[in-house]
Amino acid sequence: MSSILAADGLTVAYGDRTIVNDVDLAIDARERIALVGPNGAGKSTLLRALTGVLRPRSGTVMLQGIPIEAVDSKTVARTIAVVPELSQLPFAMEVQEVVALGRLPHDPPLSGSRPADRDAVVAAMERVGVTHLAERDARRLSTGERQLVYVAIALAQAAPILVLDEPTAHLDIRHQVEIMQLLVDLNERDGRTIVAVLHDLALAAHFFPRVALMSAGRIVADGPPASTLDAGHIRGVFGVDPALVRLPVGAA
Amino acid sequence: MFPSPPHARRGAPAARLAALSTVLLIVLVACSGSASSGASTAPSAASVAVASPSLAPTTTPTASTNPTPAPSFPASLIDDEGTAVTIPAQPKRVVSLSPAVTETLFAVGAGSSVVATDDSSDYPPEARPLPDVVVFGTVDVEKIVSLDPDLVIAGGAGFTSAEAIAKLRDVKIPVIVVSTPSIDGIYADIELVGRAVGAADKAKAITDKMRTDMTAIGAAAQAASAKAPTKPRVFYDVGYIDTTGQIYGPGEGSFVAEMIGLLGVDVITGDKVTYEIPLETLIERDPQVIILGINAFYRPTPATIATRTGWQTLTAVKTGDIRSVPDTEITRPGPRLAIGMRNLALAMYPDLDLPPIQ
Amino acid sequence: MTARTLPTDRHHSGLSGWLRGRPGAIAAGGLVLLGFLMVAGVTIGTTAIGPGDTLAVVLHRLLGLDLGGSWTTATETIVWELRLPRVLTAAVVGAGLAVAGATFQGIVRNPLADPYVLGTSSGAALGAAIGILLPVSFVAIQIGIVNVLAFIGAVAAALLVFRLGGAGRAGGMTRLLLTGYAVGSILAAFLTMAMYVSGANLRAIFTFLLGGLAGASWDRLFLAAPLILGGCLAIGLRARAIDGLLLGDAAASHLGVDVKRERGILLVLASMTTAAAVAITGLIGFVGLVVPHVVRLLVGASARRVVPLSAIAGAILLTAADLVARMLGDLPVGVVMAMLGAPFFLVLLHQTRSGYEL
Repeated sequence: MSSILAADGLTVAYGDRTIVNDVDLAIDARERIALVGPNGAGKSTLLRALTGVLRPRSGTVMLQGIPIEAVDSKTVARTIAVVPELSQLPFAMEVQEVVALGRLPHDPPLSGSRPADRDAVVAAMERVGVTHLAERDARRLSTGERQLVYVAIALAQAAPILVLDEPTAHLDIRHQVEIMQLLVDLNERDGRTIVAVLHDLALAAHFFPRVALMSAGRIVADGPPASTLDAGHIRGVFGVDPALVRLPVGAA
Repeated sequence: MFPSPPHARRGAPAARLAALSTVLLIVLVACSGSASSGASTAPSAASVAVASPSLAPTTTPTASTNPTPAPSFPASLIDDEGTAVTIPAQPKRVVSLSPAVTETLFAVGAGSSVVATDDSSDYPPEARPLPDVVVFGTVDVEKIVSLDPDLVIAGGAGFTSAEAIAKLRDVKIPVIVVSTPSIDGIYADIELVGRAVGAADKAKAITDKMRTDMTAIGAAAQAASAKAPTKPRVFYDVGYIDTTGQIYGPGEGSFVAEMIGLLGVDVITGDKVTYEIPLETLIERDPQVIILGINAFYRPTPATIATRTGWQTLTAVKTGDIRSVPDTEITRPGPRLAIGMRNLALAMYPDLDLPPIQ
Repeated sequence: MTARTLPTDRHHSGLSGWLRGRPGAIAAGGLVLLGFLMVAGVTIGTTAIGPGDTLAVVLHRLLGLDLGGSWTTATETIVWELRLPRVLTAAVVGAGLAVAGATFQGIVRNPLADPYVLGTSSGAALGAAIGILLPVSFVAIQIGIVNVLAFIGAVAAALLVFRLGGAGRAGGMTRLLLTGYAVGSILAAFLTMAMYVSGANLRAIFTFLLGGLAGASWDRLFLAAPLILGGCLAIGLRARAIDGLLLGDAAASHLGVDVKRERGILLVLASMTTAAAVAITGLIGFVGLVVPHVVRLLVGASARRVVPLSAIAGAILLTAADLVARMLGDLPVGVVMAMLGAPFFLVLLHQTRSGYEL
C-alpha cells in the first residue's frame, strides 16, 4: 500500500443519478497523472471526492493510507493542494495577498503569517514566475497570469499532492504549454504528485506519463497515453473519428 | 414636522416643515439602508394642540370648596402620565420644556425660579432671554443637568422626547409631565404646576378666574348663536402643507375643538391623533366659515386659501367668509386660554360685546 | 495579531505603502486616536467642563481616587452619567457595525453588503415601532421595551432570512441576499403601516430610524456591550474562514475551511452583533458599509487584518462623528457621518493608485 492517494470502489451519486461509478484508482507519490474523458464523464466529481470535499455514496478514499474522512480538514489541506477555479475576487487584492491565502491551512488560528509563511509565498511566486506581479491587483491580470497566480496559491500550500481541474481552459497555446511545463517541472524537480483533469488530449498525451480515461462515471482505461488514448478508445469514448485527433502517440 | 401635541410650539411655516421632512426622509432612506419610507405620514402641522387620548389625565380639577393649604414640601404629585413624583423642597431652579408651562410658571408667580425654557417659550417677555434647553424639538439634557435644576416640567404625549424624560429621571432630577386633551385638563395642569412650585393658591385663583371668563364668553357666544336658525359649520385652519395639500384642523376631542364647540357652532375636526383632515372630508363637510389661526410662522390669507387645490368648492371660500385670529392663545394650553377663547368668539361673532380679559 | 510585511512590500512607495506593510502601526495609531477622541468626547459638550475636572470625575468614579477636584454634582452627573456612557457606546457600536459589515461583505462575497443585508434593519425598526406603539405608560419601562423589541426584531428577521435564504447551501449567497431584500421589504411595509397609524409617536419611531447616541446609558451599554464585543472577538478568531471564502466556496473547503459551518456561525455572530448595536442606537448606516473598505484600502483584503482594524476604525469614526454631531446641536449622527465621511471616502478612493474598485 504505497499509494499516496487511492480510491477503492468509489461511487458518488446525487439522488438516483450516479456520477462516479465504482472507481478504483491508486496514485503513487511523485506520480503525474491526467484524467481525461468527455464532458459529463465524472472527472471533476471524482477529483472532489478524491480531495475529500465530497462524501462518496460508497467506497473509500485513502490519503496516505488513512481514510480521508478520518483526517481533519486542515491536515488534508496541508497534504492536497487544489488549484482554485478562477472565480471573481470580491475585493481588490494584491497578487501576493492572494497567494498568501494558500498558507491558511498552516496558520495558527490567532496569528497571521509568520516568516515561514512569507518565505513560502515568495518562493511560490518565484516558482511560477509571477514575482513581478506581486503588487498588482489580482483582478486586473490576464487570464494566463491569473492561472499562474492560482497555481502559486496551491504551491504556497506546500502540499505533496497538487490537484488541478482543467488548468489550461481559456488559455492560449503558449500559456497552455507554459502551465504544462511548470507541472512537469514541479513533478520531476520538486517531486510533487500531480493529478490534473485535462480536456486537451494532445496536452495530456504529450506531458503526462499516465493518463486515465473516464467515461460515464467509470475509468475505462488507465496507463501510458499510447495505450489509453488509442484509436479504439477515442472512437468508443468520445465518438469521433480518431483521424481528427492528432496525438503525439500516434493514436491514428 | 411631527404632530406635536399640546403646548404647541409657536408654529412653523408649513413649507419649511415639508422641506425639512423631505430632507429627513432622504437621510432616513440613505441611513437605514432599508426600503422603508414614511413619506406619506411624516409631515404634519406643528402648531396643533391635542394630546393622545390614551393618556388621560389622572388628576382632576380640584373642587373649589377646599381652600388649598399653604405650600408644603416634600410634595408628592401624580403627573398626567400617572408617574408619582416627589418634590423634596420648594423648587428654586425650575426648567420648563413647554411654552404653556412657562406661561403658567410666570403666571403663578414662580417666574423668578425659572432658569431655562424651550425655544418656543416667548411669553411673558421676561421668559425670552432665559437660556433655551430645547432647540427644534431636541432636548439638551446635558445643558439641563448643568443648570442643576430641582424641577423639570415637560410636555407629554411625545411633545418632550420620552428618551430625554427618562434620562433626566435617571440622573435623579424630578420631572413632571403635563399633557391633556381637555379644557378641564388645562385647569388641572395649571393647578398641578402650581402645587409643584408651592403656588397652589395662586394657581387656583388663576383657574377660578379662567373658568369664570370662559363660562361668560361661552354664554355670550351661545346667546349670539341662538339667533341664527342653524348652527354654522366652522373649520378652524391651523396648518396646511402646500406641497402635499395636507390640511390640519382642531383634533377631534381636543380642547381647541371643545372651545370652538362652546361658541355654539358645528365644529369640523381633524383626526384625533394626527389632526389631519382629508380634503374630501373637508369638501363633504363644506365649512360655511373658515377661521385662520395666524401666528408668526403661519400666515395664510383669504387670497392664498382660495388658491389651494380643491378649496374653491367650499362655501366659505365662495362667499369669502374667511376670518383670521391670532392662534397662539387658542392653541397653547396655558393661563391665557380665556384670551384665546375671547378672540375666537369675536372672530365668530364680531358684534359681541366682550370685556377684555384682565 | 496581524501579518508582518512581506519582503516584496518594500516596493510600495510613499506613506500608503509604508502603512500597508505595517498593520500593527496602524492599529497602535488608531488606538491612540480613539483614546484621544474618547477623552475629547467626554470633555467637550454643551457645558464647559475642563479636562482636569473631567479626568478627576472619571478617576473618582472609576477608582475611588480623590484628586481634590472641586467639581459640582451637576458636573459629575454630566461627565459620568451622560457623556461617558455615550462616548463608550459610540465606540462599541462603531466597532460592532464595522466588524459586522466586514463579515457580511466577506461571507456573501459582495462589497456592497452592510450589516443590514439580512433584513436586521427592518426587523429592528419594526420591533422598535411596536415597542413605541404598545399601549403602556410612556415613560421608563417603555424605553427598555423598545430596545428589547428592536433586538428581537433584528434577530428574528436575520434568522428568517437565514432559513428562507438557504444560507447553508453552496453558492446560495445571491439567494440569501435576495431573500434579505424581500423579507426586508415586507417588514418595511409593516413599519410604514406602523408609522402611518403612530400619530404622535411618529417622532419617536423616526428618531429610531435616524439612529443616534442620545439614548446612551450605562444600563443599555452593559446589556449590549458584551454581545457586541463578544461577537467582534468571536468573528476575529474566525477571520481565516472569511479569508478562505475570498476565493469562493470550493477553494475555501480545499484550504481546510468547513464552509457551511463557518459561514453559518459567522452569519449568526454578525447578525447578533448588528442586532445588539441597533437595539441601543437605532439604525446607524455608513459605518458598516464604508469602514471595512477604508481599512482594505490601507492594509489589503485579508480578513485577519481587516476585522480587527475595522473594529478600531469603526469605533474612531462613530466616536468622532458623534462628537461633531453633539457640537452641532445634537444632529443625527448618521447625517454627520454621511456628510463628513462620504467625501473623505471619495477622496481616498480617488487617490488610491492601485485602482481600488468596489
